[in-house]
Amino acid sequence: MKKMIKCTINNYPVEVEEGTTIIQAFKKLEQEIAHYCWHPGLSIAGVCRLCMVEIEGNNKLQIACNTVVQDGMVITNQSQKVKDTVRWGLEFHLINHPLDCPICDQAGECVLQEQYMKFGAYQPLMSEDKVKKRKVVDLGSKIVLDTERCILCARCTRFTDEISKTKELGIFNRGDRSEIGIFKNKPLENDYALNTVDICPVGALTSKKFRFQQRVWYLKKAPSVCTGCSTGCNIDVYYNEEGLWRIRPRHNSSINQYWMCDKGRETFKHVNPSGRLKSSFRHTAEQTEKMTTFQALQTLKLDSKKIGLVLTGSYTCEEYDAFLDFFQLHSIYHWKNNPKNFEDYDNFLIRGDKNPNTKGLLESINKRQLKLEDCTQLEQNISHLDLLIVCAPENHKLYPCLEEKINLFLKSKELVWISPHSHTLLQKPINTVWTIPSKTYFEKTGTFINHHGTRQKIKAVASIVDSARSLEEIIHILKTGQTDLTQIASIRDKMKTNYFMEQKGSL
Amino acid sequence: MFKLSPEGIEFVKKEMVRYETKLSAVIPCLYRVQDENEGWISPECVAYLSRLMDLGESEIYEVLTFYTMFNQKPVKPLHVQVCCNVSCAMQGSRKILEELKKQNNSNVTLSAVECLGSCDTAPVLQINREPYMEKVSLEQITKTLQERTSS
Ligand code: SF4
Ligand code: SF4
Ligand code: FES
Ligand code: FES
Repeated sequence: MKKMIKCTINNYPVEVEEGTTIIQAFKKLEQEIAHYCWHPGLSIAGVCRLCMVEIEGNNKLQIACNTVVQDGMVITNQSQKVKDTVRWGLEFHLINHPLDCPICDQAGECVLQEQYMKFGAYQPLMSEDKVKKRKVVDLGSKIVLDTERCILCARCTRFTDEISKTKELGIFNRGDRSEIGIFKNKPLENDYALNTVDICPVGALTSKKFRFQQRVWYLKKAPSVCTGCSTGCNIDVYYNEEGLWRIRPRHNSSINQYWMCDKGRETFKHVNPSGRLKSSFRHTAEQTEKMTTFQALQTLKLDSKKIGLVLTGSYTCEEYDAFLDFFQLHSIYHWKNNPKNFEDYDNFLIRGDKNPNTKGLLESINKRQLKLEDCTQLEQNISHLDLLIVCAPENHKLYPCLEEKINLFLKSKELVWISPHSHTLLQKPINTVWTIPSKTYFEKTGTFINHHGTRQKIKAVASIVDSARSLEEIIHILKTGQTDLTQIASIRDKMKTNYFMEQKGSL
Repeated sequence: MFKLSPEGIEFVKKEMVRYETKLSAVIPCLYRVQDENEGWISPECVAYLSRLMDLGESEIYEVLTFYTMFNQKPVKPLHVQVCCNVSCAMQGSRKILEELKKQNNSNVTLSAVECLGSCDTAPVLQINREPYMEKVSLEQITKTLQERTSS
């Protein structure tokens, strides 16, 4: 246990651990303090000079990010002296800033804007012309840089030095010609590069994919867990009535800290309505019948059939439990995205297991002492089966072996494909194939267990495809023959009214 | 392909362990590269040094672009570096530079550099790596350059 020491911040007494910096103490007390360069996940730079505080008995103002609290310190950032200094500091940052907020993608979540609303001089005092610098600088396939907007806080360079350790970014030249950049033809292409866009306090670094897509104040955000791999980084999903637009990391000190990988940020596209399977189908060589999920499940006629079950790590623990309890099989086939690099790990966040809940799947199977088999064993057994049920991956992009496996599954006399997406191979089969739309992580409530064994809850945010059903709901229909899911309390609580309807009233 | 001489490589290896961090060795190593590459440092040199020192190219490039004593382009035999920082500027150094530019001497490369650390004798300039010319006047430097280009 570290020694606790007392100090006073803006007249509030507070106890902090020895070694705490003043800015950390401000954060702990939830007292506002201006800052650009300090970031809790990076080393201290002390370059923006905005986090000024006045310490009793000390004539000079100090920066809060690089000053350690001493016992009995009386600290304030409410004095006129501090406010004036911050105002001048801000004016200094704005000397060469282009103030092109109307066309800047950061507007609305820009720290410079926020501070300006509080401390702005509103009448610029400079008579000199602004220094013109490079705009729209291409840093690679993902990120664009505007050197005029940059306030040289060095967060991005500290990120590539300390976190990704790839060292692409640097501050080149000096004085008012200083700018962020890359060395010649070494683009910013590491697997974590887009974190620099998140931590850039202004609109100097913007994401090629997201920029000019949306004004951020029109987006809602909801907490969730990334389904891109078994690390289970904590995320915020940004969405509006048209669908999902971007994913950003949410702080979790024991899993992803402040970061996430760039691939993980792409795992919202498969949730959006376009390309989703929107109703159930029964495909045979002769015809394709569209039906409700209820009808599809009725036509399955499970009794006395020899059933095989293929599971992937995309579903929640609750869904696995419901499925396994209902089917009472002795063995389960586990479909992995790529058995060869399934165990890969880049020593930071990215894992080769591209499923959020492989641990949960294994736990459900082990609890029941079922036999776990893989797809090679399925190949041998498939001719003995009457019906194969595949709980397919939620995000097909993460399964390079998708087509090869579908061709294998199609050898079964009858096949049930449960997934948010269908596949062209399934639509002209020799035998009979049912495709049933399932929910994505954004639409259901449940538990994922990540690679480390941490249980994380996800919550339904909105329904994107009304007809999609979770595995729990499918089992409920099979069990009771009832379609009205709102009759079941446990499911009703987990259901969300359609976001579209919530906004516009029922249709 | 640029490569340091065996002695140059030896020098870099020694510098790298001389300080607390090898980042501190970048300046002496850049000097060495510049000396062995006809007075300037090409992008290729940066890439070479980054491999040799196991540092990021951007880390070396940051130092290279910060200091005006490193040349990012080839220079003529006489490299005249005129200090244009506050003290010297107040003593007319920027004027001197303007005038020198007009002379268009084909053996001379002119650069405006940051404070040479001799503000008390402003205006100051330096030819190549020679001792400073202090309290210098336009006439003095013009004469020096004429003499040295004709010899
Ligand atoms: S680009 Fe952004 S993060 Fe990087 S130094 Fe400039 S303002 Fe800071
Ligand atoms: S490391 Fe894995 S869990 Fe984390 S963001 Fe990337 S894909 Fe998602
Ligand atoms: S936050 Fe303290 S100097 Fe930038
Ligand atoms: S300003 Fe010229 S030497 Fe200092």
